[in-house]
Amino acid sequence: MLTDITIQVLNALALSSILLLCSIGLTMIFGIMGVINFAHGSFYMLGAYVGFSIIKMSGSYWLALIISPLLVGLVGAFLELTTLRFIYLRSHFYQLLLTFGFLLALDALAQTIWGTDFKEVPVPDLLKGSVHILGTMYPIYRLFMLGLTAGVTIGLVVCLQKTKIGISIRAVSQDSEMAAGIGINVNMVRTLVFGAGCALAALGGVVIAPIVSGSLGMGVAILIQAFVVVVIGGLGSILGSVVGSLIVGTSQSYGTYLFPEGAMVFMYAMMAFILIFRTRGLFGEEE
Amino acid sequence: MWLLRWRWFWPLLGILIFAIVPVFFPAHHITILTELLIFGLFAMSLDILLGYTGMISFGHAAYFGVGAYASAIMLLQFNLPLPLAVLAGALAGAIIAFPVGYLSTRATGVYFAMLTLAFAQMIYAIVFKWYKVTGGSDGIVGVPRSELWFHFVNLGSGKAFYYFVFVVVALSIFVFVRILRSPFGKTLQAIRENEKKVESLGINTRKFKVVAFIIAAFFGGISGALFAPFDGFASPELLFWAYSGSCLIMLVIGGVGTIMGAYAGATVFILLEEVISSYTKDYLLIVGIIFILVVLLLPGGVVGFGMNLVKRKE
Repeated sequence: MLTDITIQVLNALALSSILLLCSIGLTMIFGIMGVINFAHGSFYMLGAYVGFSIIKMSGSYWLALIISPLLVGLVGAFLELTTLRFIYLRSHFYQLLLTFGFLLALDALAQTIWGTDFKEVPVPDLLKGSVHILGTMYPIYRLFMLGLTAGVTIGLVVCLQKTKIGISIRAVSQDSEMAAGIGINVNMVRTLVFGAGCALAALGGVVIAPIVSGSLGMGVAILIQAFVVVVIGGLGSILGSVVGSLIVGTSQSYGTYLFPEGAMVFMYAMMAFILIFRTRGLFGEEE
Repeated sequence: MWLLRWRWFWPLLGILIFAIVPVFFPAHHITILTELLIFGLFAMSLDILLGYTGMISFGHAAYFGVGAYASAIMLLQFNLPLPLAVLAGALAGAIIAFPVGYLSTRATGVYFAMLTLAFAQMIYAIVFKWYKVTGGSDGIVGVPRSELWFHFVNLGSGKAFYYFVFVVVALSIFVFVRILRSPFGKTLQAIRENEKKVESLGINTRKFKVVAFIIAAFFGGISGALFAPFDGFASPELLFWAYSGSCLIMLVIGGVGTIMGAYAGATVFILLEEVISSYTKDYLLIVGIIFILVVLLLPGGVVGFGMNLVKRKE
C-alpha cells in the first residue's frame, strides 16, 4: 500500500513537471504581452520532433536536450519579430487570432516534415533502469524529469529576481510604457520572453519524448492541460503555474489510477469550481 | 440607379442566383455548392460572437458536432423527417451551450477564449468515449437524407437536398439579421464596443453574452445537423478543434462582422481546398499561412476589403 502511494506521488510529480514547463512560458508571455499563445502546445510538439531528428542524426540525447529548445526558441522569437510585433497596438482579438494561426500553420508544417506516424525516442543509456525509493523501484528517467524541471524553474526565478535582464522583464510586465521611459528596450524584452517561453515548452517536449512518443495530437492536448493549469493558478503568476501544475498533475495521475474513465472530467470539474468561486485563479492578479 | 439602392435588391439577387444555378450545374458542383452553404452557415453562426459581441470562441466545432450527432440519431434511429432532425440538432447545440456559456462568460477576454477551447475539447472527449450513443471513434455511419415530411417528398437526390439546405440557410440568414437589428442585437454590438459603458447603464451584460453564446450554438447546431445527412455520417472529428479552426479561418478570411463574409470565406476555403489539394498535400499549411496574412494585412477580410474600396470611391 505504502509503495503504491509512493509511486502515485512520484508519477503525479513527473506529470506536474511537464505541465509546469509548458505553463510557465504561457504565463510569462501573458505577463509581458497580454497575449495567450495558442501555439504554445505546437512549440512543445516541435521540441519533441526536432529532438527526435537530432537524436536520429547524432545519436545523442543530451545534444537534443540542448539544441532542440534553442532552435524552437529561435523559431518563436522569429515569429514574434516578424508578425506579432506589428499588432500589439490592435485589440487582443487579432493577437489571439494570430497565435491561433501559428497553431494551424505549425501543426500542418510538422505533418509535412515528419509525417503522421509516432516518433519514438529511446531513454538515454545513462538514465536507464530503476532505483530503490522508499521501498519501491522507480525509473531513473522520471526522477531526472523532476530534477530538471525543479532546476530550470528555480534558475528562472533567480534569473528574474537577480539579473539585470530579469529585472527588465519584470519592469516591462508591470508597466511597459514606464519601462520604455527609463531606457529598457521593450521590443527586445518581448522577443526574448516569447522565444524563451517557446524554448521552455520545447524543453518539455524533448523531456517527455522518451515516455510518450511524439505525435501530431500532443500539442493541443498539452495546450488544453496548460490552460487548465493557468486558469486554476491564475495567469501571469509563476507561483500560480507551480501550484496549478501540482494540482492538475496530481488529480490527473490519481484520477487515472482510481477511476480511469473519469480522470479528465475531474480536471475540468476543478476548473469549473475555480471559475465559479475565484475567477482570476488562485494567484492571478485582479483585472 | 434606384434599383441598386433598393434594400431588397442584393438579398433577392442572391436568392435568385442560388435558386437558378443548380439547374445548369452538374451533380459534382451541386455537392460543392451545398457544402459551401452549410459551412457558410457554420461560420456565420460564429460571427454573432466574434463579429457582433466581440467574444472569441475557439471551440465552436463542439456545437456543429453535437448538432450533427443529434440529427444523425434522429434520422437513423427514429426515422424522423429532415426538418425535425435539423430542429433537434439546433436544440442539442443550444442545450450543450448553456452550461459552457454560463461558465465561460464568468471570465472575459483571453480567459474566455481559453475556456471555450478547453470545454470544446472536453465535449469532444466525451463524444469519443461514449460508445453506446455516439459509436465512439467509428461515429454514426449511413445517415439517410430522409424526407421533407413523413412519406412526403424524398430528399435523397443531390438537387432536392441542395434546395432544402438553401431554404434553411436563407431562413437562418433572415432570422440572424432580424436578431442583429433588434434591440437585443444592438445591445450585443454595444457590448463589443465598450462593455464597461453598457454595464454602467444598468444592463447585465453577462446575461446578454450567455444568450449570444446559445444563439451561436443554435445556428451552429443547424449547420451540423445539415452536415450529417449531407456527408452520410457523423464522426467525433466534427467536434475536434481543427473544425473550430476551419470555422475561424472561413470567417476571418471572409470578413468578421459582415454576415456575407462567412459565405465569402466558405467559398474561398472550399475553392482553395479544391484547387490546392489537386497540386499538393500541404493544403492546411498554405491555408494556415493565408490565415496569418489575412489577420496581419486584411483585418476586415475579403468582404471588409471590398466594402472599403466601395466607400473610398463614393
